[in-house]
Amino acid sequence: MASPIRILTAVPICDGHDSAINTINLEFIRHGIEVIYLGYHRSVGDIVRAAIQEDVRAIGISSYNGGHIEFFAEVVGLLRKRGANDIKVFGGGGGTITHEDAAAMKRKGVDNIFFAGTSLTEMTDYVRQHYGRPRGKRLRAKSPDHELAHKLTDIEDAYAARRKRPTRSAKSKIRNPQSAVRNTNVIGFTGPGGAGKTTLIDELVLRFLNQNPKGRIAILSHDPSVIGEGALLGDRATMINSQNDRVFMRSMATRGQAGGLSPATQDCLALLARSGFDHVIIETVGTGQEAMPFQKNGIVNQTVLVMNPDYGSRLQLQKIVMLDLADIVVVNKSDLQRARTAHTEIEQRLEQNRRNQRLIDTVAKRHRDPGVDELFGLISRSEL
Amino acid sequence: MSKLGQVVESIEKYNKFVLDQVKRARTDEKFGRELLGRWNDTKAKIPVSRTPTGLPLPRLALPEIDEPGEIARYLFAEGLPGEFPFLNGAYREMYLEPIREVESFEKNGEAVAAGLSPANRLKKQPARLPLQEEPTRLFSGLMLAEDTNERFHYLTQHQRTHRLSTAFDGPTLYGIDSDADGVFGKIGEGGVAIDTVEDMVRLYDGFDLGSPNFSASMTISGPAPIIMAMYIAAAKRRFGPKVVPKLRGTIQADIFKEVQAQNETIFPIEASLRFLTDMVEFTTREMPRWYPISISGYHIGEAGSTPVQQAAYTLSNGFAYAEMFAARGIPVDQFGPRLSFFLDCGLDVEYIALARVSRRIWAIGMRDVFGAGPRAQLCKLHTQTSGRSLIAAEFKNNLTRTAVELMLAYMNATNSCHSNSADEPFTTPSEEWIRLAAHGQAILLEESGIFKHTMNMLSGSPGMKAVERSVEAAILDEFREIERLGGVLAAVEDRYQRSQIQNAAHRYEQQIYDGVRPIIGLNRYRNGTDDIPEVKLARTPRKKQQLQVDRLAKFKKKNAEKAKRTLDRLANVVERGENCFPMLLEAAEVCSLGQITGRLQEVVGRFRPMV
Repeated sequence: MASPIRILTAVPICDGHDSAINTINLEFIRHGIEVIYLGYHRSVGDIVRAAIQEDVRAIGISSYNGGHIEFFAEVVGLLRKRGANDIKVFGGGGGTITHEDAAAMKRKGVDNIFFAGTSLTEMTDYVRQHYGRPRGKRLRAKSPDHELAHKLTDIEDAYAARRKRPTRSAKSKIRNPQSAVRNTNVIGFTGPGGAGKTTLIDELVLRFLNQNPKGRIAILSHDPSVIGEGALLGDRATMINSQNDRVFMRSMATRGQAGGLSPATQDCLALLARSGFDHVIIETVGTGQEAMPFQKNGIVNQTVLVMNPDYGSRLQLQKIVMLDLADIVVVNKSDLQRARTAHTEIEQRLEQNRRNQRLIDTVAKRHRDPGVDELFGLISRSEL
Repeated sequence: MSKLGQVVESIEKYNKFVLDQVKRARTDEKFGRELLGRWNDTKAKIPVSRTPTGLPLPRLALPEIDEPGEIARYLFAEGLPGEFPFLNGAYREMYLEPIREVESFEKNGEAVAAGLSPANRLKKQPARLPLQEEPTRLFSGLMLAEDTNERFHYLTQHQRTHRLSTAFDGPTLYGIDSDADGVFGKIGEGGVAIDTVEDMVRLYDGFDLGSPNFSASMTISGPAPIIMAMYIAAAKRRFGPKVVPKLRGTIQADIFKEVQAQNETIFPIEASLRFLTDMVEFTTREMPRWYPISISGYHIGEAGSTPVQQAAYTLSNGFAYAEMFAARGIPVDQFGPRLSFFLDCGLDVEYIALARVSRRIWAIGMRDVFGAGPRAQLCKLHTQTSGRSLIAAEFKNNLTRTAVELMLAYMNATNSCHSNSADEPFTTPSEEWIRLAAHGQAILLEESGIFKHTMNMLSGSPGMKAVERSVEAAILDEFREIERLGGVLAAVEDRYQRSQIQNAAHRYEQQIYDGVRPIIGLNRYRNGTDDIPEVKLARTPRKKQQLQVDRLAKFKKKNAEKAKRTLDRLANVVERGENCFPMLLEAAEVCSLGQITGRLQEVVGRFRPMV
């Protein structure tokens, strides 16, 4: 079986009209497409970087605020400059894009523009017909990130094809091997959905970027596939600080595997871990009580469990397996009334383990939160 | 309990008070007699209008009641136009023609001369009634500052009062500069490009900013305090520091609705609210004629909310702002009169009374919870007809839709109104259709006799009252839910309003698709041949966009040294938690919009989109 089609959708910079794209995203995933949604008010640079890192087949841009001829052309131009000519561009903007504009945009390399009144089915069919065919021979990647993105796709495709082992080329090292393995710290983040993992990671990334003017970080982020359908991979829309040239981010759908990760995760993580990043962060989907997403003695050398103060009764804590395994437990949203009780109860639960696990309270949504600072200190110190 | 919970209680209490007054009027004879006396006196003093055909009509229409209980119910539950709780209007005589001959009107409809009645004195007053200054606000903004300036001069050339309404381009609305990554094509699109105080000087060049006949409206929220500072800086450059207290106008500055519906937020919510309060503290003290916030339901309605959600979220946002400003120590009678509202008017039946009910809730809440005096109780309202109700299929039907919405807006006694162009589904409105839209208002108010002879002409029908009761109850239910979630700010952070709006929008689309909601020409009586108007789009030429970028570069180079020092000081003030608006005024002199935004974001962070 072939991999699902992966596309990136976004709304251009200075444009907050996201209601059309929200509807379209849902229609796409209902038809088996994996959509990486970048959000609204996104620059050309952010869009092209994300498209290359995610190695999507196409970029769909929904523009309602004018300047579309220029904006679409800049996206196409930057893709070409970065050697990613194989990533196609399509889009729409209701009545704001005239037929004349669309003709001009197509001349500049845009595949297609949908006009007001186009049905969702028409759009979905278009994407499946034009971007669903097997890829031809890949162009030579122009940058290490680009090459890395290709290799991650190879690994995912190999698993999708139900081959046990990815092909040799996918596992071979990428350029710049001497920096690989070196000080890479692999940190696993897990926890129930809505606990604030994504926001927390983004805040850690901000601190990392500020503290290490040349450092690089990789993020492997997971979102669930809808049963038998596509997936909405939306973490980038929230991770405003992680849209940066020094951050390599890849969004993966679980593609039918339970437990918070994808079948291809282990190999992808291994590849990232020897690709020269200072940190590699892996984020699971929101998990249940029994989840143990990270292998014992695996590549992940530090695990963080992010908890929501609202976990139910005290007895529920006894059932959360990750509380035994995590190196650091974070109670996020500690500004909520319930957080003090949560801290006390979790503290007691951790004491039973006698493992010197750390417990930190954070408010990830707050700028410069001291709890996040503390967590960042813990994570940076543990570099190998 | 947040103030919103107290507002709910105050409305319940007031409704009970009305019932008590009704009972008292019926049982307490003296009270009943007083009311009846007042009622008869009021009626006796109503002057007479003469229609063009010579028919006499009272300038104020009142229900035909003569029983003290019913009189009490009318006076306390609704109030005369211009009287608490303002159900029938914030002011008297809003749309009436100036009086020609003075007569008083007896209850049997017979006109007699009134001698020295108050109405007679009115005749001699040269002062104009509140809305008899031209109610037109011409929304405009295109290309560069000098282009918009030229358009402003063209639009106001025959007008006595110059009321300009400014639309900004995307980069300005998001607080970034014209030289930012990927915005080049958006410079001057959909509004005017403003990067610096120099652009602001060009934008209003030739207008006397300190004149009582001039007012500027600026439709911008995310970076509103910075843009406000630039406006003041530009005014000072042209007219000196003494102009500041004379400045008149409005800036939208509504952060809550941005987060709930419009997605133009640039700082985290709490920081945005703090900068807003800093600005309001400054303007209420230094610029007593300025409206520093326009509490807007329009964008909530356009994003797909139900009419009740629109009113409930807008009013609760308003009460939350009032709570914030009061907490800062600004006296309610100082900021209250400087708040204004902006609502959408569509075709749903709720719109028969939505604004009427809103005005009543606002007045009671402000008086009884915030202790506001009469001027601070008024919900002063601008209405715009619904853009969302207009469709591309057989677009000329949009003229009718807008006409019906206008009728509803004026039945709600809106203080001013904007009518949409029928070609809106395709493009920025073209001159031909703008003209027709403006004429629609003139036909309703000037050509037709519906509103110009009699106040309250269409108020108080049994059906309208039924809508009022239903709508009020539904709004209070929404208030209770928001209160349960911990108040407006907590509900906003919880995405409550946002999710409700999105849900309602989805249901609306589904209803159109299923045919439950008839849209003529789209899912009913469709003829299949859509006539698309000849669209001539005004696009900003590349040369102009480049000019804006070049000007900005020159400004930044010229002020590089000063900008750096000023931004450092600004950052310090923000870090210390002081009111940063005076420092923003300094920064506006030497820094660009993007430089200021960027520096503030370093200190307080960026807004994280809610997805």
